[in-house]
Amino acid sequence: MSTATVHEHVDVPQPPQHGRPGGYLRRASILTGLVGGIGLALVVYWVGSLWLVPWGTTNAVTNLQVGADALWAATFAGWVIGFMAGIGAFAGPIRWALGRDLTHADAEYLAGRDQGKWRYWRYTTDHKVVGVQYLVMTLILFGVGGFLAMLIRTELGVTWAEVFSPDFYNSIIGTHGIVMIIAMIIAITGPLGNFVVPIMIGARDMAFPRLNALSFWLLFAAVPPLIASLFMGGIRDGWSVYQPLSAQAPTGGVGYQITIITFAISTGIASVNLITTTVKMRARGMTWNRVPVFAIGIIASSVMGLIWFPMFQYSQIMSLSDRMISTSFFNPLGGGSVWLYENLFWLLGHPEVYVIVVPATAALMEIVVVFMRKPLFSYKIAVAGFAGIVGISSIVWVHHMYMTGWAPSTNYPFMLSTEMISIPFGFLVLVLLGTIWRGKAWARLPMLAVYAVIWNKVVGGITGVYLSDTPVDQYMHGSMFVVAHFHFMLMGAGLFGAMAAISFWFPKMTARTFDERIGSIGFWTAFIGFQVTFFSMFVAGLQGQPRRVLQFDGAFNVSNWISTIGAYVIGIGMLIFLAAIIVSWRRGPAAPANPWGSKSLEWQVETPVPLENFPVLPVVTSDPYDYGVPDPYEVKEPAEAEDAKVGAP
Amino acid sequence: MSTTDDRPSADADGPEEPTNRPVPADHFREWVSRPYVRRIIVITVVLTLVIIPMAWLTLHFMNLSGAPASPIMSEIEKTMFVFTVVSAPLMAITLAILLYSIFGWGRVSGDKPPMQESPAIRGNRTATILWISVTSVLAFFLVVWGMIELATISAYSYGATPASDQPNSQKPLVVNVTGQQWVWTFEYPDYQGVTSATLVVPKDRPIYFNVTSKDVVHNFWAVEMGIKIDANPGAVTNTGVTPTKLGTFNIRCAELCGLHHAYMETSMKVVKPDEFDSWIREMGGRRTA
Repeated sequence: MSTATVHEHVDVPQPPQHGRPGGYLRRASILTGLVGGIGLALVVYWVGSLWLVPWGTTNAVTNLQVGADALWAATFAGWVIGFMAGIGAFAGPIRWALGRDLTHADAEYLAGRDQGKWRYWRYTTDHKVVGVQYLVMTLILFGVGGFLAMLIRTELGVTWAEVFSPDFYNSIIGTHGIVMIIAMIIAITGPLGNFVVPIMIGARDMAFPRLNALSFWLLFAAVPPLIASLFMGGIRDGWSVYQPLSAQAPTGGVGYQITIITFAISTGIASVNLITTTVKMRARGMTWNRVPVFAIGIIASSVMGLIWFPMFQYSQIMSLSDRMISTSFFNPLGGGSVWLYENLFWLLGHPEVYVIVVPATAALMEIVVVFMRKPLFSYKIAVAGFAGIVGISSIVWVHHMYMTGWAPSTNYPFMLSTEMISIPFGFLVLVLLGTIWRGKAWARLPMLAVYAVIWNKVVGGITGVYLSDTPVDQYMHGSMFVVAHFHFMLMGAGLFGAMAAISFWFPKMTARTFDERIGSIGFWTAFIGFQVTFFSMFVAGLQGQPRRVLQFDGAFNVSNWISTIGAYVIGIGMLIFLAAIIVSWRRGPAAPANPWGSKSLEWQVETPVPLENFPVLPVVTSDPYDYGVPDPYEVKEPAEAEDAKVGAP
Repeated sequence: MSTTDDRPSADADGPEEPTNRPVPADHFREWVSRPYVRRIIVITVVLTLVIIPMAWLTLHFMNLSGAPASPIMSEIEKTMFVFTVVSAPLMAITLAILLYSIFGWGRVSGDKPPMQESPAIRGNRTATILWISVTSVLAFFLVVWGMIELATISAYSYGATPASDQPNSQKPLVVNVTGQQWVWTFEYPDYQGVTSATLVVPKDRPIYFNVTSKDVVHNFWAVEMGIKIDANPGAVTNTGVTPTKLGTFNIRCAELCGLHHAYMETSMKVVKPDEFDSWIREMGGRRTA
């Protein structure tokens, strides 16, 4: 599908070398980052405790010392800034400001040349390193979130007693929620968007390699405040941290806010980078109708993230300022509005679901074509589906607020827009089914996982249509039915889709063959557990169990017991899948360059992928879906024959 | 040499010259006659018939803790039923294609990419138009249905406003609902400020709720009545219902409201009008209006 051009050597003019090459850039690593972060946090805490608390006024709602919140917000911010400075995030801009630009040798060093495994612990700009860093981070976050999920299900399964105190239970549901949301948002766009997309479109790296490293290390710095908050009273308000409940939260709530503010910056940077890369860095000949559909899905997801993530960030900045300096954006006592918070929150809150589901769906499309040995059913319909979702997803957020009493008359238009989004969503299902249609499947784990994910997606989609209907939502809102529905979307379509995608691209990312036997056992165990857990949860919701409760009416016992058993099965399955990843990564046999016989560009480069991916940039002559044999059933297009008969030109 | 174009023009009235171009109906008949298409249609029909009973199962689960106690809840259950029936064929065809793909069109295994390629189908206008129109029509139907139902239940909730000039038994009973961490308080302004921790209302009389909160956002959910509205601090929201069944029903908080959110529930007693009057007297209330 691609041909090589003649490579002519060109001498690139180099900036003059000032002093020792590299300077601080060559010494910075995660260790200097930790030193910087912890150091600055301690300094800020010490200085702050001298100045902030004595001057603190008392918050009218919570009777807490405002100074304590401000102190911890400053400490967490100190950690983030100190860590980023320590790891060398600011070294490049400072050098540039001083007129000492990077030489080519510096740039290559920064990209991790000749540093072995150590490059994964540094501010490395190579997109493949960033992709692997994201993958490990995703796995860790899923581990934390999954562990918390097990605690939640344990509490709900033990219907006869409180296992945890209500405060701790509320903290674990909140932390589980936000950790999983962060993990899901980065699960595909992080590891695969960074690792695969630049190779897929025939680029040597991302458009902004240093921003790429920045986005990952900001994410890394964003997580400790979140974990720390668990030990500072926790996030007791659910992942949505509705106001004014979150104003009552102990100091741990500040950790959530700093995490979201930092994470939103990281997401914005990553989105800009991915969009620019795909728009500007495609190989010669890769016209817009030849761009792999996965790259389109990543762009769609990034666009949504870029537009809507700031809303979430604003809401948290405003919450923080309500806490710290007694503004009252959301405090009704001071003239604020809780509905303002809910609007800002859900402006991201809903598109975020598509931020997660769209790249997962795009990954499934890449998988199906390879394992069916068929072209994509329709590239245009797939792109139209993504575009439709991006467009409509921005005007549906109020369906989370049907029952808030904010503006009951808006329920009509938002019901319309919400149900309309099932049409572009249907486009994606059509493309997947059309590509499956009449294909002889190569029955490997990634392909079989696609079937599982399509099933989950359909269940999640249809229950979503129920919920989009205001009268039904009047019963279902805030019930376990909602929880089961969004787990079908986020976990069933998102996480299982990510597992399919990771098992597909694993050989390219790690240069090892994925152990499909163990992986399949894990995948299908988790899948079965998933169906049990969440179908049972649908029943609990239909019966009328509210969400986020730790004790409930005896009528819900049976469905909760079944859910809990299912959840443990998921846990076991996920651990087995994780074991498959770890075992394969450490000891798996070396992977060939193109184990699946794919025609996409990322499989044409050698494995492990060399620095800068392509020795010679490719030229693309067709789309990457050039599989298949002529259709035996195809009726020969008679127009030419007819035209020939009547002698038309 | 003839200069006239003897091809039939698009708007010619006469019969078209026979060509070998298959007319759409023939094409469709040929397509339907393919064995796999027939089988998929059969599987779809069977699965649809299997899924449709899920609609009753859904209602069964919803009724486990009590059948609908108000017209609103009946409308909600009707909507659930219709939605399940309408989405059954879509679910069935997706599942049918997936199942047929696994068991019908065959699989290949092995470590090496299969040598045998599948037919290169790039798009199919008929299938695309069919799929998009069917999903659009279904979505449109559901929207219209939902809007009509929403208008219906809104009329049940807000149709009878307190100002309306009606005989006493038909006049809505106003209840001020206040959520606070973690109890509900019900105040009857018509009866000189009777307050209660459980909601007691007469049967067959419209109830109009003014809902608010003293601290954080709560959600007032009268489960079997099918009404739900947020209780917001600093604002009053409204909902209403006409209970049509005697008995004791559940009221739960459906919005996380802190420490004891799980225990923020109370009961709603629907009693006969005369029992309601005697309850009001017991509570020391007196009609003010």
